[in-house]
Amino acid sequence: MLFSGSIIKGSLDKGMDNMDRRLGSDIMLVPKGSREQAENLLLEGQRGTFYFDGSVDDKVKDIEGISEVTSQCFLKSLSADCCSSEVELVFYDPDTDFVVGPWIETNYKSDLKKDNVIVGSDIVTENGTIKLFGKDYEVVSQMAKTGTALDSSVYFSDESMASVIADAEEKNSFLTEEQKDGDILSSVFINLKDGYNEDDVIRECHAKAGDVFDVVYPKQLNESLSDNLLRITDIVGAVVLIGGILLFGILVLINSVIIESRKQEVALLRVLGNSKSKMALMLISETGAVSLFGSLVGCLLGALIVIPFGRYIGMSLSMPYLGPSFIGASVQVIVIMAIVFLVALVSSILFVFHVTGIEPYLALKKEAE
Amino acid sequence: MLTSENVTYRYKKNKRTILDSVNYSLEEGCFSAVMGESGSGKSTFLAVMAGILKPLEGTVRYNDVDLYELKDKELSRIHRNSICYVPQSNIMLKNITVLENIVNPYLETASDEDLKEKAVSLLEKLGIGNLAGNYPYELSGGELKRASIVRAALMDPKVIIADEPTTGLDKETGNRILSFLSEYAKAGNSVLVATHDEHIEGYADNILRLERS
Repeated sequence: MLFSGSIIKGSLDKGMDNMDRRLGSDIMLVPKGSREQAENLLLEGQRGTFYFDGSVDDKVKDIEGISEVTSQCFLKSLSADCCSSEVELVFYDPDTDFVVGPWIETNYKSDLKKDNVIVGSDIVTENGTIKLFGKDYEVVSQMAKTGTALDSSVYFSDESMASVIADAEEKNSFLTEEQKDGDILSSVFINLKDGYNEDDVIRECHAKAGDVFDVVYPKQLNESLSDNLLRITDIVGAVVLIGGILLFGILVLINSVIIESRKQEVALLRVLGNSKSKMALMLISETGAVSLFGSLVGCLLGALIVIPFGRYIGMSLSMPYLGPSFIGASVQVIVIMAIVFLVALVSSILFVFHVTGIEPYLALKKEAE
Repeated sequence: MLTSENVTYRYKKNKRTILDSVNYSLEEGCFSAVMGESGSGKSTFLAVMAGILKPLEGTVRYNDVDLYELKDKELSRIHRNSICYVPQSNIMLKNITVLENIVNPYLETASDEDLKEKAVSLLEKLGIGNLAGNYPYELSGGELKRASIVRAALMDPKVIIADEPTTGLDKETGNRILSFLSEYAKAGNSVLVATHDEHIEGYADNILRLERS
């Protein structure tokens, strides 16, 4: 319980932190009727096939109060030779992108050329390349794990979009008419200048681009999720705390029964020439060994649940969930084992001193007391 | 060799004085017995003499060293090498063999092989060598008692103190144990037993009789 709780809490915190870094815009314009899909995109990185006219970003970029604008286009359900499952293609403008771009740039500093791609952490590459629609692309960087569908995405410069669609058509991949048209966008991300009102800017966007978009507020979504996270982590923290108190209580009870039941054995060993300190060390070592073994088994059982099903836990909580690395989980196991070991020692120490302190004869002849 | 001077003991619970200024001396090579009715303090006296129950008053000296003035580790050393006590009840760990029960407490002092070899030889002497590999629950009370005595004698202590070593045993087994202890004393050691067994008179060099106060 301690291990599972701490892993869930840590993974939610990490997922939230990750999302916070990923969602860098004040406003996100998405095609009308696509708000829900767009929110899923923000939460879980799941791309949708929603599009509006490719000129929306140009129409709004000069509106007063907007500091920066960038756009992305997603192509979903396109299979790649590299992968057994779907890969999602993201076309973005490396010159203006401030949403995914900085995230990618942590691994890749140069400009993304036309035949270059950046891939998510789950994409398997072969000799540094990936084949899409019969064409090889050089993988110039692989992103860090995000725990979302971003991990199975391939990132292109927007300059590559026309040629990728042409290759897809040539390979008879299914494309909608909109996709074939090519002059499309899925989202426009906007950051505002300080002191400007979101509603005023959105009103002006409607005036310039028409009633073709819905608005999503990533940072508000993030704040709402942060509140949820705080509540969830509070609950998990409370469960871990209660679990810890229960653990201490149970260990006190178990140790009192086990150590008391060994009173005669300890007395006999003392009579046969073993000192009090040696007996105390023996009992404490045994308690420690049992607690270490027990906590290791508990952590492994907990890991069997929270690691394979972590993504589902995140989805059921509607929260971004980024599970621990092997090293992270191992460190967690060591920390939990150390805590349980200490708790076991503290909970047993009084009984150990009580049992080793009894006059051996009185312990051997219980009825004498 | 082992002497008590004005030993007094009173149980805290019922405030009854069990031992009242007992003076006694166990000499080298001597097989001594303590007799008396139930409640006369035989077992308590043996425990006090063995250094495992501190008297309320008086001293117990082994070769002029006051046992109850020693530090725990020094007293443990004496219990391991010089004074070994055999309790009335046969206490053995159930999940290890009789041989392991005998040898394990001393593993730090000698090699496993040497201890086992010696233990088997002593078990054979007491007629239960074939039971060395058995578990304690497979042995009768008499067999367990003999195994307990072997455990006490394994490190050749100068003094063996045994609490009612023949109680509940048939005559033949009782005599076998008493013969073993008598022989042990004659080898230059000392043995002190508490008993109700009248056969002790044929083995003991002297008998201390305690009366219930």
